[in-house]
Amino acid sequence: MEIKIQNLTKVFTNKKMTETVAVDHLDVTIPSGKLIGLLGPSGCGKSTTLYMISGLLKPTDGKIFFGDEDVTNVPPEDRGIGLVFQNYALYPHMTVQQNILFPLENLKVPRPEAMERAQKIADLVGIGELMNRKPVQLSGGQQQRVAIARALVKEPRVLLLDEPLSNLDARLRLQTREEIRRIQRETGITTIFVTHDQEEAMSISDEIILMDFGVMKQKGAPQEVYDNPTNLFSARFLGTPPINIFNGEISAGKIKLGKSNLGTTDVKSQNVVIGIRPEGFKVDPKGPLKVEVEFVETIGRDTTLLIIDPTDPTKRFRGIIDADYKVVAGDTIQLSVKPHKMFIFDPETGEKL
Amino acid sequence: MAAQVQNLYGNEKQLRRQFILRQTYVFTMLIIFSIIVIIPFYWMILTAFKTEAQVFTSPPILWLTELNFSNFGAAMNAAPFLRYMGNTVVVSFFSTIGTVITTIFAAFAFARLNFTGRDAIFMLLISTMMIPGEIFVITNFLTVVEFGWIKDQTYTTALLAMTIPFMTSIFYIFFLRQSFRQIPNELYYAAKVDGTSDFKYLRRVMIPIAMPTIITITILNAMGTWNAYIWPRLVTQRQEFGLVSNGLRNAFNDLAGVVAYNEQMAAALLVTFPLLVVFLLLKKYIIRGVSRSGIKG
Amino acid sequence: MLEDKSNIKAWLYLAPALILLTIFIFYPIINALFLVILSDYNYLQGTWQGFTLTDNFVYVFRNQNFIQALTNTMLITFVSVPVSVTLSLFVSVWLNSVAKSKGFFQTIFFLPYVTNAIAIGMAFAFLFNRNFGLINTILGWVGLNPVNWVGLGATWGNAMFSLLVYVVWGSLAFKIMVFLSGLQNIDKQYYDAARVDSTKKGRIFRRITVPLLSPMIFYITITSFIGAFKAYTEVIGMFGERLGPPGNDKALITVVALVYDALDRSGVPGALSEAAATAIVLFAITLIFTLINTRISKNRVHYAGGAK
Ligand SMILES: Nc1ncnc2c1ncn2[C@@H]1O[C@H](COP(=O)(O)OP(=O)(O)OP(=O)(O)O)[C@@H](O)[C@H]1O
Ligand SMILES: [Mg+2]
Repeated sequence: MEIKIQNLTKVFTNKKMTETVAVDHLDVTIPSGKLIGLLGPSGCGKSTTLYMISGLLKPTDGKIFFGDEDVTNVPPEDRGIGLVFQNYALYPHMTVQQNILFPLENLKVPRPEAMERAQKIADLVGIGELMNRKPVQLSGGQQQRVAIARALVKEPRVLLLDEPLSNLDARLRLQTREEIRRIQRETGITTIFVTHDQEEAMSISDEIILMDFGVMKQKGAPQEVYDNPTNLFSARFLGTPPINIFNGEISAGKIKLGKSNLGTTDVKSQNVVIGIRPEGFKVDPKGPLKVEVEFVETIGRDTTLLIIDPTDPTKRFRGIIDADYKVVAGDTIQLSVKPHKMFIFDPETGEKL
Repeated sequence: MAAQVQNLYGNEKQLRRQFILRQTYVFTMLIIFSIIVIIPFYWMILTAFKTEAQVFTSPPILWLTELNFSNFGAAMNAAPFLRYMGNTVVVSFFSTIGTVITTIFAAFAFARLNFTGRDAIFMLLISTMMIPGEIFVITNFLTVVEFGWIKDQTYTTALLAMTIPFMTSIFYIFFLRQSFRQIPNELYYAAKVDGTSDFKYLRRVMIPIAMPTIITITILNAMGTWNAYIWPRLVTQRQEFGLVSNGLRNAFNDLAGVVAYNEQMAAALLVTFPLLVVFLLLKKYIIRGVSRSGIKG
Repeated sequence: MLEDKSNIKAWLYLAPALILLTIFIFYPIINALFLVILSDYNYLQGTWQGFTLTDNFVYVFRNQNFIQALTNTMLITFVSVPVSVTLSLFVSVWLNSVAKSKGFFQTIFFLPYVTNAIAIGMAFAFLFNRNFGLINTILGWVGLNPVNWVGLGATWGNAMFSLLVYVVWGSLAFKIMVFLSGLQNIDKQYYDAARVDSTKKGRIFRRITVPLLSPMIFYITITSFIGAFKAYTEVIGMFGERLGPPGNDKALITVVALVYDALDRSGVPGALSEAAATAIVLFAITLIFTLINTRISKNRVHYAGGAK
């Protein structure tokens, strides 16, 4: 089921009549059968977007289509969606089985069929043996699966997950996200997965949608967005350690950081923000950047350097280089920059130049 | 550092002794206090089993070797206590059912539904909680007269007069609303996405989750009726319609000040006993409910 | 959807409660304000002689028992509330610190809450009996003469003392339970920190327990004041409708008793207005003391942390 969002806007008005624009003219199409990561910092409007898609919140403006059907004014129960919450929202007084059966009750599915479907979906998510337990008797990961089973049992057209992993510990999170990926592949349901963890989004999504202050910043396959950020926000939000940011300038087709010449471009002469991924540096005796290394950390095959910013000695930036190079703290080294790991942005708009 | 560690180890015995000393002190205080709490009950029970001669012995007998059960029969003869207890059970049954139903619906509306003037109405309710009940009683008396529940009173109209005015409670609405609000919003959203109606959500999710509070309300309300004295006295036109408290007070309101104390205490024990049994059976709910009801917010 | 107002539905859910509250709470409040401005209102005939702002209050103040009732009510309030709050605070702290049998003591201390006020009042009256009561027996053990607490011709002071003992006894249970649950909510780390600093027990109580519990102490004090101003059934329980020891009728009359006194004369013109005026006076007193209480507590209540 393809989901088309047109000009979607949500403005909250509180008692004092101050307005919060939670989602701001969002235009996006989510391809059928894919897992989409909706990614952005806390408060950027991810949940609000999800709740509007689910029908729990009414858009201030804009339209939502499921396939060709305009569902903007369709109540949540008629949209055919499954929703999974951050805190799972399992009914605490019901067993796993009763929880999974609950949505089918409303659909008036005959009892034997309902039981069968519940068992099938429970087996799919791997909790088939826990049907008679209450939620408190389950681990976080198991509760998570029950929530997913409850959302899937009514065979929704769209599965919406709102930060479903944030209550799990690091290990379980890794394991469960693989699981979600597997379940999504097996069922082929169009899925929107909300998270503020960029690594999580990158690792399981077919595509990610990056949001900030209610506005979509970029959309695309994770690697594509990482390799070609179209704006400073996208560049900064993806990647660990994060991209290094410098104030530089373009003069006569040359990218200049302080006095160093990092490369060439056809952008016209102006002040710019230069972003260089940590892995974009190379130790190169002929490199244009002469810098002092403050701290060195080697893990496995990579060496991370904490480097004093030559243009502003109060600042530091990070470079990741091959561990073959022996660098120690206090060394002064020469660096060159890989052109495809360096991006130039407009200092005012943050757009890529 | 080393000295300090040694010091701590050296102190262990002393600490342990201090702990035992303190526990002994606390225990002693608690036992003394328990005795003070128990004495009136003990006195009531003791006297209820005394013969008349034993009651009027000075100094009083503090321990009985032989129990005398005749006072209970005498008390029943002095006034129809079984009837009063029956009345009380009936009144408390109906007023409690009424209270629980109206309270659940109102608390649900305040906790879960979104409607114009919700906060204003709620504040209005809360602000009346400080007004002494006597202000209401005056007009309520006139109202039940107006409703025809006083004149030529029958058992039915007497029951109406004693139950209808108490079929809701602002305090319990407030109390239950607190419980309802602790249920995460996401449960409601999840239910909505699955097409659950508000009423079904209330019945299948909110009521079961808030059941401990509802049980507490039920018990506290029923116990309140068992204690009611003023209103039933005001609206019952015949003694036999009265509740236990009225029956008890009327039966032993001897103006001369000389009372058959053993019979009086037997009657008092009859009235107190069912309450104590209920309490001991449902201790968990009562204590928890009362403790929570004292917490504001 | 979620933010949509469901007005009609909400009003349907509210209707049962709101209808009852309107008839039995809101209307009576307004009606009381109306009754109190009527002169010589006769409810049997539905007639009155014009309006007055002050007359009905003047009747209240001129009532021969008013001063006595006010004195008694104030005395009961200002003795029983501080005594019971302090006592229950101590008991709950002990209870909270005891390592074993907490549940057992909790059950015992709760008993006074689940008794019938009339029944237990009668037991108290007999405890204080001059010749056959336990109190005088105990006094005799320590060599004191028997006192006529509640018997024929007992003085106001003796009767009042007995009543106060009963009132305090009866009001402890609720407070102990509330304080105990408050104490159990205080984060243990405060005590651990204090212990590490080797703070003395008394100091811990004054500097940690009381401040952290202060919102609850404040709340309990306020509600106890409001409750104590309404003292009446306790007097009935111990002394019957006579409201005093035999031969000293109405010695322990309270303000609430005045309301019912007037209500009992409801057929007499003006009596209902007098009842309303008395109830309003009671409300005014309650309000004033609640406001004073709030004022005093404002600087002393620590709202951060502590009881949740
Ligand atoms: N019911 C509401 N009333 C008013 N403002 C709201 C409401 N719900 C959300 N907002 C505001 O809208 C903005 C977006 O909120 P939203 O919950 O969608 O963020 P989010 O991206 O899901 O954040 P998080 O990662 O923290 O869950 C925030 O500024 C928030 O304060
Ligand atoms: Mg969110």
